[in-house]
Amino acid sequence: MAYVIIGNGVAGVSAAESIRQLDRDGRIVMIGDETEIPYCRPMISLVLEGAIPADRLTMRADNFYETMGIEPVLGRRVDAIDVAQKTVRVGGDTEIPYTKLLIASGADPRPITADGLNLKNIFFMRTQAQVRDMLQVLPDARRALVLGGGLVGFKAAYGLLRRGLNVTMLIRSGYPLSMQADETAGGIILQELRRKGLDVKVGTEAVAFGGNGAVREAHLFDGDRTPCDMVVIGKGVLPALSFVPRERIEIDLGIVIDRHMRTSAEDVYAAGDVAEGVDVARKTRWVNAIWPEAVTQGRLAGINMAGRPVSGEGSLGRNVIRIFDLDILTGGVVTPPDNDGYDVFQTFDGSRNTYRKLVFQGDRLVGVVLVNDIEQGGVFLSVMSSKTPVTASREGLLSRKFNYKQLLK
Amino acid sequence: MKEVVVHPERCVGCMQCMIACATAHSKAKSLFAATLESPLPKPRVHVGVGQYDEGFPNRCRHCDPAPCLLACLPGAISRDLSTNTVLIDPDRCINCATCAMVCPFGVLRYHEEGSAPPGKTVAVKCDNCIGRQEAGLAPACVEVCKSGALTFEELSEAMRRKTNEISRTVSVAAEPQDLSPGFSLLNTMKKSLIQVRTG
Ligand SMILES: Cc1cc2nc3c(=O)[nH]c(=O)nc-3n(C[C@H](O)[C@H](O)[C@H](O)COP(=O)(O)OP(=O)(O)OC[C@H]3O[C@@H](n4cnc5c(N)ncnc54)[C@H](O)[C@@H]3O)c2cc1C
Repeated sequence: MAYVIIGNGVAGVSAAESIRQLDRDGRIVMIGDETEIPYCRPMISLVLEGAIPADRLTMRADNFYETMGIEPVLGRRVDAIDVAQKTVRVGGDTEIPYTKLLIASGADPRPITADGLNLKNIFFMRTQAQVRDMLQVLPDARRALVLGGGLVGFKAAYGLLRRGLNVTMLIRSGYPLSMQADETAGGIILQELRRKGLDVKVGTEAVAFGGNGAVREAHLFDGDRTPCDMVVIGKGVLPALSFVPRERIEIDLGIVIDRHMRTSAEDVYAAGDVAEGVDVARKTRWVNAIWPEAVTQGRLAGINMAGRPVSGEGSLGRNVIRIFDLDILTGGVVTPPDNDGYDVFQTFDGSRNTYRKLVFQGDRLVGVVLVNDIEQGGVFLSVMSSKTPVTASREGLLSRKFNYKQLLK
Repeated sequence: MKEVVVHPERCVGCMQCMIACATAHSKAKSLFAATLESPLPKPRVHVGVGQYDEGFPNRCRHCDPAPCLLACLPGAISRDLSTNTVLIDPDRCINCATCAMVCPFGVLRYHEEGSAPPGKTVAVKCDNCIGRQEAGLAPACVEVCKSGALTFEELSEAMRRKTNEISRTVSVAAEPQDLSPGFSLLNTMKKSLIQVRTG
């Protein structure tokens, strides 16, 4: 038995561990582009901020590969998969045969189109190496520009602000976190960002960058110019699947997987940011590129690859983030289309700055937005992912006294 | 291995467990001295109120597999196998609240804590009073619970008892049997009070 895993992010690592639990002897080969010991990607912004040193990022022990009996192939990229021959090609020459293959190659930052992108000091923030590069230019930087108002954009902006830079955020939509939050929560967040010293421009985009070698200014869509010594692009991510044969493995936005994490090709599985399964709240296929999902899918893939047919309940898009003095937790469908069959319940308490919104489809909870008082958020989300009908009074659910017991008879 | 078993139907909502829990997690381990500590010790068991005002001691289930342990970004959550306890390392915790996002029971809280680095807000939840257990004591919430809503026993023993109780009620000849009539009466009263109040 030869298990081959592409990607040594958390999905790949979780899969390898699950395989090892069930199969002590099978050969496991892990191919990873990044050479560091497996690390926690979401925490790289803490290194940018200076809250933790880079050596605190590791998510497994230094001897992870050894103790798990994994053959690591690091610093090399897979460039092709031959599903007929059941081999993976690495670095243009080496062919590695597999019995079971897992694609856990994660995602890459979504590229942007603008002039002057070849200038120095324009960064993406996806890897430890990229953060190391950013740290290099910090001593000489005074003004930073962050493109995108999503989670990564905010984390970059926050980190740079904490480093003492003047930070401008350019957000194309009308409010930050537009992929996660509804308009009300977005408005609250926008206010908070500005109050804490971020210069946030909404409804605009950068179309070009100017400078002599290194970036010095950005030209905005509306003709404005903004000076900057560094730029961070945080416009979301796209599944990393350039090496996947589209004619043999079904791809939509991500690699299409079933409840067992199987792709359309025999003995090929996918998990994590690269995979697209069914979203339980949206009731359609969706890429939910989040850490907990990558862990769950990685484990399931590993268990199934090792021969136990265990199925998942589908994924659920959800996020939690602390933005200065605000805690935001969201999940599922937060802005339902206003035509059909959704019931929205919401409450806002200005004195405590809390906002709570629940979106129902009949007796099923399908969306939640919480601003502050987020401790019970997991209860709502688990009711959503288990598709449990909710009969409890909607007022009770909106109350800050809401607790697990209210869901019981 | 003994574990804490919750019998929700017996909870009267007195919240003694919360006070005992906070005290057990204080530095002084005595109620009056604990109230003077900074940060103020807080409970890790939370008595919630149901739809009809009945109490419910909401405590970490120490799930296996535990969603919080799997999802924790910095890997701060681990399992102590000897007591089957899911533990949070306050030094590693980054207060990201991912654990609250994945906990189906809503047992996590975030605040400063005596066992955490000073001034650091961390995720806090039940640790099964692991320190007390090492000293041969039962968890504080169990020790203080007067109504039997919390017990500390071998799980197999508790399951056998429950199975027997249930099996006594399933014969066709058996009268429907209330397993805790006093508590049912109390909860029925609470329920009717609410119904009277709300019409
Ligand atoms: C700054 C930042 C903050 C984040 N914060 C959060 C958060 O708070 N909460 C949350 O839920 N999620 C967060 N995320 C998202 C989270 O990091 C991802 O969902 C998670 O890392 C996905 O894991 P993965 O294993 O699927 O992919 P990845 O972590 O992307 O790992 C894939 C690995 O495969 C390698 N690879 C790709 N292609 C190849 C190839 N052809 N050959 C060899 N190797 C290859 C890559 O180099 C990479 O190392 C954040 C992400 C970032 C960047």
